[in-house]
Amino acid sequence: MTRLHRRQALRLIAGATGATLATPAIIRAQTPSELKIGGMLPLSGPAAIEGHQVLKGLEFAVKEANAAGGALDREIVLMVEDDEANTTRGVIAVRKLIETDKVPFIVGTYASAVVIATMQITKEYGVPLLSGGSTSVAATDANEPGNPWFFRSWPSSVDQGLDTANAITGRFGAKTVAIIHDSGSYGYSLGDQVEQVVKDNGGEILSRDTYNAGEQDFTTLLTRIRSEKPDAVYIGGWAGDGAMIVRQATEVGLRTQFVGSGSMVSDDFIELAGPASEGFAVATLYEPSTPNVYGAEFGKRFEAEVGQAAGTLNSLGFDSTSIGIEAVRRTGGTDSKAVRDMIATGLADFPIVQGPEGATAAFDAKGSVDFPNFIAVIKDGVRTLA
Amino acid sequence: MDLFLQYLANGIVVGSSYVLVAVGLTLIFGILGIVNFAHGEFYMLGGFAGIGLATVLGLPLIVSLLGVVAFAALLGFLAEQILNRQVKDKDPTNSIVSSFGLAVVLQNAALLVIGPQPMLLRTDLSMVPVEIGPVYLPLQRALIPVAMIVLVGALHLLLRYTWVGMSLRAMAQQPTVARMCGIRVSRVAIVTFMTGAVFAGVAGFLMSSVFMVHPLIGNMIVLKAFTVVILGGMGSVTGAAAAGLMLGIVESMTSAYLGNGLRDIVGFLMVVIVLLAWPQGIFGRKLERS
Repeated sequence: MTRLHRRQALRLIAGATGATLATPAIIRAQTPSELKIGGMLPLSGPAAIEGHQVLKGLEFAVKEANAAGGALDREIVLMVEDDEANTTRGVIAVRKLIETDKVPFIVGTYASAVVIATMQITKEYGVPLLSGGSTSVAATDANEPGNPWFFRSWPSSVDQGLDTANAITGRFGAKTVAIIHDSGSYGYSLGDQVEQVVKDNGGEILSRDTYNAGEQDFTTLLTRIRSEKPDAVYIGGWAGDGAMIVRQATEVGLRTQFVGSGSMVSDDFIELAGPASEGFAVATLYEPSTPNVYGAEFGKRFEAEVGQAAGTLNSLGFDSTSIGIEAVRRTGGTDSKAVRDMIATGLADFPIVQGPEGATAAFDAKGSVDFPNFIAVIKDGVRTLA
Repeated sequence: MDLFLQYLANGIVVGSSYVLVAVGLTLIFGILGIVNFAHGEFYMLGGFAGIGLATVLGLPLIVSLLGVVAFAALLGFLAEQILNRQVKDKDPTNSIVSSFGLAVVLQNAALLVIGPQPMLLRTDLSMVPVEIGPVYLPLQRALIPVAMIVLVGALHLLLRYTWVGMSLRAMAQQPTVARMCGIRVSRVAIVTFMTGAVFAGVAGFLMSSVFMVHPLIGNMIVLKAFTVVILGGMGSVTGAAAAGLMLGIVESMTSAYLGNGLRDIVGFLMVVIVLLAWPQGIFGRKLERS
């Protein structure tokens, strides 16, 4: 249970004692003064750190919408369920949000496996699901083309990998590349993709090595790569391992252009890698310094309100929630099927904070919005867009 | 050749951390006959304790080190109460199962209290270079083999020349006779656990400036330590020291010349071969009893 949830429970109890003859069933369902919307995120368990960051984006979007008069002349109330990045918990969470809270749409969730497990259920109930951080192409591929019920207002992991790989040979002008990736399926698919793209662009792969996620010592591997003198080194894996590799590269004196997979976009990566992260490049969907004017304004408001610089996770939570609220406003009702239709086709003019200037919630047939990723380079401990 | 020496140095640094963990493990096994699966958690908690003392409380590194030693000794004392005192006499396998349970409890307790976020001890030592011929190491890495030699040397002297050491060795050789000769078995068990935990905790603290610390790191280091203990011969301190360095060097060479993906495979392959050829370990002694 989240703090927010408890606070709401208190508010409901206060409301119930004030109102006469209110029965519990009526209190929980939609009321004339409140509009409940759904949020499902991993607030405990392995993805809890990410889940709480996304939640800040959801809460901020709701707060701003309420300051602008709410929706349908009602105050918007965010109902949040914790899915623990666990498919079983996710199924329980969406059922609760749909059956008890009668939400017109749900923003959720971070783990793609949980999205895939729950999107069929929300589809059966006729409730649209907006990604809370899930980026896997498998989730949007599970949509029936032309009839999507799951929406992700940013490009998939495949596009992200492609943009990153093209930057290695394009923007960084590397002719020779060494690849390091973890031995899980995530690492292998990234490694395959980068190898293919670099070769297609006329580059040469000097070496390709794997490591087990959580491995700690990379000094020998990096010493050997140093002797290969690559123009760039690509790292595909989790942020913690990537930070360790970058750190130890400085220790062994390997100085070259490092490019990492999308998972290394967090500030935790910079914190762990320390000064060694200078010059490190990573694909990103949002930075406060974005050329997207609407996004840059969001960044300022978010920092003033929440007290931290907005990042990719905050921005995507904000976008998904804002899109859902806007769809409710435009349909003029809480019928979830009409809201879905509005999201799928009616918001092509609605601006989003992620992506380049002019990016909008123009979903394609599979429920995805495609725009190029930014490639950020870390300068003085901050991801900078060139 | 220069590269080869650098690979060798990297292997010695990593191998030294294996030695520090494996020495405690082999001591507890050799003297008490307990296979302690919770040993990796001593390493993990030693790392967290050190980061807490040095970073959160801002104590100097030497004071933090003493704090880690005290904390690990207390941890060893408590572990002995659970793993040896309470369950051992009923059935020797009880302590193996309960040590596994203790590992799970400590890991999850660390997850709850500290959280899953990896941490690093930040020191100024990482910027100080040590150059020995063509070999280059940051000072914090170069200190690890030095600390290993000092600690294992001290342990060796303790076992060889002190009354406590003699009672420990007597217990290892023949517990029943040792008891008949007036050695206080309960005290020996406590000293063994405390020594083992201190070694693992100090290793965790030393490595926390080089490797990340998070609640699950114990899992991997304990596997490596078991590999070292089996290679070196169960219960042999010098065997563990030699085998630990050997494993570190072999891993480094594998990563350098065969590919990084093979390094863990090679270590465990060595265990299988050693167990087939020398079941008592390379440095283990077969005890002849009349």
